[in-house]
Amino acid sequence: MRTRSHEPIVWSLFGAGGVFAALLGTMLVLIIGILVPMGLGFGPEAMHYDSLRGLFGHPLPALGLAVVISLFLFHGAHRIYHTLHDLGIPASKKMMLACYGSAAAGSGVALLLAGMLVVF
Amino acid sequence: MSQTRTIMIECLRYDPEQDQAPHYRTYEVPFTDEMSVLEGLQYIKDHLDGSLTFRWSCRMAICGSCGCMVNHQPILSCQSFLRDYYPARIRVEPLEHFPIVKDLVIDQSDFLGKLESVTPYLVPAQPLTPEDGPNLQTPRQIEDYLGYAQCINCLLCYAACPQYGLNHEFTGPAALALLARYNADSRDAGQKTRMAVVNAEEGVWGCTLVGLCSEVCPKHVDPARAINRNKINSTQDYFLRFLMPFGRGS
Amino acid sequence: MTPAPKTYVRPMNRWWMRHPAYRRYLLREGTSVMVAAYALFLLAGMVCLVLGETAFNLWRGFLQSPVSVIFHLAALAAFAFHAWTWFKVMPLTTPPIRFRGQPVPDRMIFRAALWAWGIASVALLVLAMRFL
Ligand code: SF4
Ligand code: FES
Repeated sequence: MRTRSHEPIVWSLFGAGGVFAALLGTMLVLIIGILVPMGLGFGPEAMHYDSLRGLFGHPLPALGLAVVISLFLFHGAHRIYHTLHDLGIPASKKMMLACYGSAAAGSGVALLLAGMLVVF
Repeated sequence: MSQTRTIMIECLRYDPEQDQAPHYRTYEVPFTDEMSVLEGLQYIKDHLDGSLTFRWSCRMAICGSCGCMVNHQPILSCQSFLRDYYPARIRVEPLEHFPIVKDLVIDQSDFLGKLESVTPYLVPAQPLTPEDGPNLQTPRQIEDYLGYAQCINCLLCYAACPQYGLNHEFTGPAALALLARYNADSRDAGQKTRMAVVNAEEGVWGCTLVGLCSEVCPKHVDPARAINRNKINSTQDYFLRFLMPFGRGS
Repeated sequence: MTPAPKTYVRPMNRWWMRHPAYRRYLLREGTSVMVAAYALFLLAGMVCLVLGETAFNLWRGFLQSPVSVIFHLAALAAFAFHAWTWFKVMPLTTPPIRFRGQPVPDRMIFRAALWAWGIASVALLVLAMRFL
């Protein structure tokens, strides 16, 4: 009898991360890394400490940021895990733990930080 | 008759009784515009080296036995023309990812086992007898599976799939496409049995969507689509069983 | 039964050299390294934001540096390539969609996804200009 794969769990997270990365990733990078530092369409005050503390003091933006980070991490972990196998590094329990474990850890940290931003 | 030119065909040779490993031999083959790669190989066999071994039968892209690699691309040799490669030389090898029996002949028994594993035939809901009459379908119901039913078992898709090459446990493109073909048939009620194959690690989850299988398929079966749509079904099946622990209706 | 013949199994080393489609595939998968790296970069920003103004200004100051610009240009390319390839293969995964009885062709789904990409990007930009 064939055993059922648990891949649907990580595949769903990978897929959700892939959709977010595809729809929002390019603009996110463009804003944070190019437009804001170069002052294109944004004033010199953009993304300063006070304004960001204010914005992420609200639960919704804070949670949204944490979810995006978490899904990006799972998306990366999933593809990296499979690509390492493609490159000849055999898939193993250890490798699986390293990939998805760090994604889960990173997600935990992101959620914790989001909570702290809201509470403090 | 069109004019005759000469193309260099570099061919993988392997004789299990003599060789430890394969080697290559190059043949000068005169050809005309209407000659296929298969006819080039036949020329070698008839005029240059009678020991060259390869499979073929129909010469019209329907039996699926003449598949081989030309310049690392899986093709049907009866459907590819020498004129399209000339003046470059071509390198002919047996289908990638399969064990070589001799020269261009591969051992496809692994695939045949996989084909068997997907229950590749109609499983009626109740046993039928001739008295039950014909099993009618609307054109729309035929359309649901007809694309997947075009497979000629040529194995070009397996030769295109690195996941199969890296892990022979993977059920692979054609078998999983045929699985989808029978699942999509309105006369069939065998989805439950096949779902166990879909859900397994060696089922659809062995696929990382490289996608070359669908590109090389001479019959446009699109195995990549069949497999990846079943990833959605398998995911639903995975999570829904927690909601409906007493078995699903359909 | 005749004994199984001795067969030769070819190795898989450097299999990606055999076909350009394989290298495109690895490049597509490779974008995920950048996606994960960018997530970590954002996570670092979050950590700094929690730590306080001095820490955050370090992260914010880094954005101004040439290293950051190079990193972001690479990330931009990776995310764009990811989006393009993601939408390209999306029709293979979506269940068959029909419109007025006719199956919707792949290129329509791809085009719709490109529109969604554009709209989501503009929406994000508008929100950012309003709130950052
Ligand atoms: S799916 Fe296409 S490539 Fe694969 S065996 Fe069938 S006909 Fe050949
Ligand atoms: S000889 Fe039959 S498919 Fe080529």
